[in-house]
Amino acid sequence: MSQASPDELRLHRTGHISHALRCLSGLPGSLTSLDSSRMLIAYYSLSILDLLDGLSEKKKVIEQCREWIWKQFIHSEVGSGFRASPAVCVDEHAETPSSIDSPHLIMTYGALLSLAVLRDDYSQLDRSGIKRLLRSAQRPDGSFSGVPNEGESDVRMVYCAFAICTMLDDWSSIDIDKAITFVQHCRTYEGGYSQVPGQEAQGGTTYCALATLYLSPIPARLSPKERVQTIRWLAWNQDSGFRGRTEKPPDACYSFWCGGAMKILNADGYVNVAENARWLSACQFRYGGISKNPTETPDPFHTYLSLASLAVYQPKVPDDGDAGPGFDATWQLPDHDLLINARRETAEWALLHIPDSPRTESD
Amino acid sequence: MPGDSVLYSERPEWSDIQPIAQYETVTPVAPIFYSDEYKDATGYFRAVVKANERSERVLQLTEHIIRLNPGHYSVWQYRWSTLLALGSSLEDELLLMDELATTYLKTYQVWHHRRLIITELGGKSNPARELRFIRQGLNVDSKNYHTWAYRQWLLAHFNEDALWEGELPFVEEMLDEDVRNNSAWHHRFFTVWQSGVRAGEEDREYTLNRELSYTKEKIALAPNNGSAWNYLRGVLDFTKTSYSTLRTFIEPYTAPRDESEPEVLDLDNPLPSKDAQLPCVAAIEFLAEIYESEVDNAKRAAELYRSLAEVHDKIREKYWNYRVGEALSSAGQVVAS
Repeated sequence: MSQASPDELRLHRTGHISHALRCLSGLPGSLTSLDSSRMLIAYYSLSILDLLDGLSEKKKVIEQCREWIWKQFIHSEVGSGFRASPAVCVDEHAETPSSIDSPHLIMTYGALLSLAVLRDDYSQLDRSGIKRLLRSAQRPDGSFSGVPNEGESDVRMVYCAFAICTMLDDWSSIDIDKAITFVQHCRTYEGGYSQVPGQEAQGGTTYCALATLYLSPIPARLSPKERVQTIRWLAWNQDSGFRGRTEKPPDACYSFWCGGAMKILNADGYVNVAENARWLSACQFRYGGISKNPTETPDPFHTYLSLASLAVYQPKVPDDGDAGPGFDATWQLPDHDLLINARRETAEWALLHIPDSPRTESD
Repeated sequence: MPGDSVLYSERPEWSDIQPIAQYETVTPVAPIFYSDEYKDATGYFRAVVKANERSERVLQLTEHIIRLNPGHYSVWQYRWSTLLALGSSLEDELLLMDELATTYLKTYQVWHHRRLIITELGGKSNPARELRFIRQGLNVDSKNYHTWAYRQWLLAHFNEDALWEGELPFVEEMLDEDVRNNSAWHHRFFTVWQSGVRAGEEDREYTLNRELSYTKEKIALAPNNGSAWNYLRGVLDFTKTSYSTLRTFIEPYTAPRDESEPEVLDLDNPLPSKDAQLPCVAAIEFLAEIYESEVDNAKRAAELYRSLAEVHDKIREKYWNYRVGEALSSAGQVVAS
């Protein structure tokens, strides 16, 4: 890699790769709060490695991840899918897991993409089981809950359901119209989308809402007027990096959520790419990883979303017509699939290798 | 209490239970190096789940784990079904939640559990007390998404006029504390426009004027406040009121202060506060949109957008240039048609 000149900014790729590998190999006890989302840690860490080409020659890591992820694929009464971890598994050999050891939509989304990063062949996948999970997770209002009949149900899970249907290339198990209506009800007077109807517009949920509407096989895109209003709200949220809500300070993850939402609306030309990259550069932690802002410690979530933002918004090397420091070659990242949120080749792998619906499938 | 408790493996009252270690039969991915306390407690938790035990000690155990990891949704789920199975006092559970929600404000589960309790209590619950509790939570974290979401859920769930009545004064209190609190502005919109028309609020013209006056005052106080501008636009869009009606109000915000001009007191159109930073970007944008809506004024609109791109708001240069293009092309369409 070429040496950066002092007035050029660098993306600390080696540091970020080490951060991801460290997270995959273990997390300190202070992060016990992540016990219910270990699959997502795997997904973010593997996706970091994917964007930075950090998995080549890492055969052992690939094998171990693959094996562990498949161990989390479970068949329950409500359907099949991936769970976050074995934390509440009470009997590994039981035919059906206990009622609280359940597959989860977000974890299933993350696991399917992780397996694509690992170039798995999905031969162990139970398609019809996942379809049953999707069906039992949809609520009467059209939204989905992570775990059928339990806890949170909101636009994030609707997005995961739509992404999973896209990967399965099968929408037969969900009520698309109802889900779309739910998402549309999350739209607020500001032009963004909230987590459930009635709440405040937020960047992450706006990405989820728009990605849902643009993945939908039934036309559900914004009207020209809505589009203009949403672009305005998103553009106003840029303040070097992006903030997630009006008048809040920026946070690295919104560089993807808001920046990505702009691109979904074909408004990527209105983002200040150099400022965004400069902010993310400042959020890089000295020993690897990217934090939500320059004063916090890094985590795989903010690291991956920052890199995904940079993959969508590549700062020019060198940047033209811009007064600030330029960017060296370290900032070059591969193409990104915006709606699935993965490296393009990885999203394509998932679409191509997740087995097609056999004609004999009963549901 | 976390940290100072005796391990379950050393407690005689738990000696009948054989703990179940976490099943990590292959090399684990992203394993967490749990504390001994957490490892011990969750081992006993798995064992009681396997035995489907519902008892007082299960409530103690789940509370203990929740204090170590408040985001553990499976433990919350098991606790809830245990409470129901035992017919435990939900009033007591709510008191416990008062404490836990304050300590673990940022965790979704504490709010979700509260919602389950209040729903289950139904007519026996006290939503007014809940509103007061939420207010205390907002004192600690005034923009907490879960806290606001819980308030909106509560109001919609009970939908009692007596509860709604206090919402505007409450929002005003919140905005007096921080005029840039977008969650409070959003809640204002939710209360005034999105929760139906309650008795005494039928005169929507009056409501519109009240909201416009309130928002103008807040803009005068701090003109560069995106939340107030978005609220203003929201109200105008929702009531299908033309932006042009606010032209007199907007204009003084779009240029540097003219010190030579004597200040005329106009209550309908409050002037920017003395220390306001002018011109205000949002006001220029607003005026440009007024021009855009008028016949033959597209060029003036474009000029304003251009001034934002080149001078007043350069970070959004590309965005404002797009608005320049839009203004000119829609004018072209008008001429062409």
